[in-house]
Amino acid sequence: MSRAAEAKPLPAARSLDRSSARRRAAWRRRGQVLAFMSPWLLGFTIFFGYPLVMTAYYSFTHYDLLSPPKWVGLANYKYLFTGDQRIWPAVSNTLWIIAVAVPLNAIFAFGVALMLSRARRGIGFFRTVFYLPALVPPVAATLGFVYLLNPGTGPVNNLLRHLGLPDPLWFDSPTWSKPSLVLLGLWGVGNLMIIFLAAVIDVPRHLYESAELDGAGAWQSMRWVTLPTISPVILFAVVIGVIEGLQYFTQAYVASTIAAGSAASATEGANSLGYPLDSTLFYPVLLYQQGFRYFNMGYASAMAMLLLAVAFAVTVIIVRNSRRWVHYQAPAIR
Amino acid sequence: MRRVAIAGLVLLVLSASVIAGCGGSSESSSGSADLTLWTGFTDRELGVMKDVIADFEKTHPDIHVKVVGGISDDKIVAAIRGGNAPDVAHSFDAGAYTGAYCSNGAWIDLADYMKQDGLSDDVFPEVPRQYSQFEGTRCALPMLADVYGLYYNKDLLAKAGIDSPPQTVSQLMDDAKKLTERNPDGSLKVVGLDPFDGFYENVAAHWAPQWGVDWVDESGKSNLAAQPGWADMLRWQKELIDWYGYDNLVRWQASAGDEFSAQNAFERGKLAMNLDGEWRVAFVQSEHPELNFGTAPLPVDDAQPDLYGSGYTSGSIIGIPKTSGHKDEAWQLLKYLATDTGALVKMTNGIRNVPTTTDALESPDVKPDGAFNIFLDIFGNPNTRTTPITLVGSANQDLVDAFVTKYQAGKVDDLEGGLADLDQQIDAQLEAAGGAQVP
Amino acid sequence: MTSATAPAQSPALVRRKPPAHVRRRRLLVAVADHSLLIVAALVFLAPFVFIVLTAFMTNEQALSPDLWPHPFRVQNFADVFSEAPLWRYALNSLIYGGLATLFLLASSIPVAYALAKLRWRGREAAFLIVLVAMLLPPQVTVIPVYVLWAKLHLVGSLWPLILPNLLGDAFSIFLLRQFFLTIPDEYLDAARVDGCGEFRILTTVVLRLTKPAIAAVALFSFLFCFNDFFGPLLYTGESPDNWTLSVGLAQFRTIHQVQWNLTMAATLIVIAPVVLLFFFAQRAFVEGVTLTGVKG
Repeated sequence: MSRAAEAKPLPAARSLDRSSARRRAAWRRRGQVLAFMSPWLLGFTIFFGYPLVMTAYYSFTHYDLLSPPKWVGLANYKYLFTGDQRIWPAVSNTLWIIAVAVPLNAIFAFGVALMLSRARRGIGFFRTVFYLPALVPPVAATLGFVYLLNPGTGPVNNLLRHLGLPDPLWFDSPTWSKPSLVLLGLWGVGNLMIIFLAAVIDVPRHLYESAELDGAGAWQSMRWVTLPTISPVILFAVVIGVIEGLQYFTQAYVASTIAAGSAASATEGANSLGYPLDSTLFYPVLLYQQGFRYFNMGYASAMAMLLLAVAFAVTVIIVRNSRRWVHYQAPAIR
Repeated sequence: MRRVAIAGLVLLVLSASVIAGCGGSSESSSGSADLTLWTGFTDRELGVMKDVIADFEKTHPDIHVKVVGGISDDKIVAAIRGGNAPDVAHSFDAGAYTGAYCSNGAWIDLADYMKQDGLSDDVFPEVPRQYSQFEGTRCALPMLADVYGLYYNKDLLAKAGIDSPPQTVSQLMDDAKKLTERNPDGSLKVVGLDPFDGFYENVAAHWAPQWGVDWVDESGKSNLAAQPGWADMLRWQKELIDWYGYDNLVRWQASAGDEFSAQNAFERGKLAMNLDGEWRVAFVQSEHPELNFGTAPLPVDDAQPDLYGSGYTSGSIIGIPKTSGHKDEAWQLLKYLATDTGALVKMTNGIRNVPTTTDALESPDVKPDGAFNIFLDIFGNPNTRTTPITLVGSANQDLVDAFVTKYQAGKVDDLEGGLADLDQQIDAQLEAAGGAQVP
Repeated sequence: MTSATAPAQSPALVRRKPPAHVRRRRLLVAVADHSLLIVAALVFLAPFVFIVLTAFMTNEQALSPDLWPHPFRVQNFADVFSEAPLWRYALNSLIYGGLATLFLLASSIPVAYALAKLRWRGREAAFLIVLVAMLLPPQVTVIPVYVLWAKLHLVGSLWPLILPNLLGDAFSIFLLRQFFLTIPDEYLDAARVDGCGEFRILTTVVLRLTKPAIAAVALFSFLFCFNDFFGPLLYTGESPDNWTLSVGLAQFRTIHQVQWNLTMAATLIVIAPVVLLFFFAQRAFVEGVTLTGVKG
């Protein structure tokens, strides 16, 4: 509503009408905003705000959903930090996968994107090939990989034995299980690769040209032109990677339960989580097991609070530090 | 816009109809009752149970029972918590759930019903009587028990020149080594016996009775370190595993076939001897009738030969979740399944589990079967034991199995120290849950 | 270049062929680039190939080192459906994805619009909160939410997964807001001057201008639901009737033994719709992913 037209001063008697009209308009606007925002306001309260508070509350109780929550003060936290022997594997595995998978995924996706950007023929075909695995539903992909990497009869080990190379136990080995998961993740970097590709293609040619004029070789122009220009995408990859790492669940759950298959039939599902030897026990998996298999909901809530603290801290650190090395491009002059 | 709305409506209607058919016991019209029974049995075993239920319905014409099979304990637990549990629930694992169900009323206390019908729990043998109650509260009745023993492949034993099944653990190890065949490249083709913790029925609880060890002392504290039998047992297992080669065994296991499928390694002749439960008899007879197998009690510690003939037992329990809307009728069904001799005998003959009332055990109608009768004997042996009922169910066993797995993988240097540590962990876990183990 | 009258003028610029060694080097580099691509492509395709081949094998063969199915068991795909009610699971996945996406769009679009184009105090703070909600792991709030649904007796159905979308979804709100920001204000002001209420502006002007963006958001939302495992596991884990394809596939082995040939066939069946969808909506996919990354 353009106010310019109403800027001309009018006799006092009329101004009261105007200001009340203006107030009414302001109220109507607020009402509109409220109406538009209402779904999210409600949703936020019910599914985010309230649960956050309740998680904090439950973390000080013993709660198994069969009887009302029983206040126990800091007992859950005490067990979390000093008693539970499985917390340390859960934390270190999660940190491991973040520290290893995030850079590897980014480098791999960037590398493939770089290759694609320089290819002259069949870019469409190659792009499809690299993107397709990312479309495969995580459960299906994990199942496929567990089969492929079956230590006894899987095709990969058959090939390795044929070539006379050592054949690791992959998902059945405590040392190789996480690298197997990383391989699974690398297979699915299609999404990231596409984003990197777009960013790499978008780097303005004149930057390369001036670098070349200055005598820069291939590596140098990558270091000083490409990387800084696509640094926002690198930040994106890192942030998304860390967030996903802190929530890593599906692949670990499916891989451990399937691989444990014939080696853990005596006990039902829950106990094979983390197979083998807790090497695939990630923090979200342990949280699920404690909360929804053993129904120690109070303890699981304490775990959730810890996760919250870490996620928050990590996000803040990354975003704060990003200002140092991320260059947001000025609109390109094409 | 309109097309979207129509699509939305269609989806809504579709989903409503799909989701409408979910869970819970149905309402009953006056007089008759519709009960829902959840059981873990599937396929053939489920068929036998449905047969038995049909008999019940004949004598109780105003009660109709819907039997749902394939229900795991997780489902029952989740359903009770989610509020849509059945009227009668059948759980395979007394050890894991009795403590939890009885202590917080998830399954109702049956004392009043039992008194009302004059049913005393003496009709059950001692061990099943024990594992279906917790600290004096009886919220479940035992229905069919499981007993563990040794299965062996007669043909393979004959081929290796072994004329009778081993009775001590050192004989067991020697025989296992003799029965093992390897491929030219060194990988395993036939395994004599696989004591890998977690493989099929191999868990610490099932092996422990063979060394005569207990889980807790009289005060309820975990005392694994104080009993040398535990360390002996673990060392015995590890020695055999190392003989195969840990990695070789893992590779072999990766294609061993699922325990409850027709690809079971023992049934296919890839595993010469196996620790297994009494139900395997029926499975083999139906899936691989050509298998020439025998059963015997599990071998025991060389130093304690009188233990021979005993083993591990645990069983199923049935009870009434507190959310049931037809508790009286549910009690009728419960009483029938747990104590009716005819029903138990029928189930024993069909499913080949061990019946849990002394009447049924002694009934002449139990079909004789050489392979199966061994288990009845083991069940009756005074040294046969079970695991303690705790508030956290079998979480203590999970801890022990996790430790055993680690030890078998060679990650534990100090076994005795590790066991002492384990004792502390078990006690801490129990304390954190607010209870103590019942010795 | 072929002008016959040219010779009188100065000679046309002729591209001199680069010296032989430079040409060779460039060729080698090009081949190297492409060959790496080819190898990488083969490695990426290999898992698919093995999965497909195994899906046609017999069970014994799947457990053996053989590479090629012999005989070719097309029957496996039919067997899969008799072993597990995949149709039912597919329907559940469809219902979950379809309804959730519908609800999500209906609720998130107005919110995103308010965050992008309406001017009000606290707008930036609200957006920050949306961001925070998006970044925090769901495990942080899952327990009380589960308790809530348990009290409402809805655990065991898909409603706990579908209904929250009626109240907006942080990620979609974020994306849509970024898209809406790109709409030039002039369009909106013009409509306002014409006397359009904000809601009409939203439905007539904004939606029409951002159709590809909305399609991309819808696509992502549907894909997310289709691939979602944790949610359905949590709420329908113990109610097999309501399993989605993701849960059904993961449990396919537990109930029906390790029959790898059937499991791979089932895996293929689950992968197929997504791949087909991709080929039909390729552009939307790629654009959507790119826009997510660039605007994110």
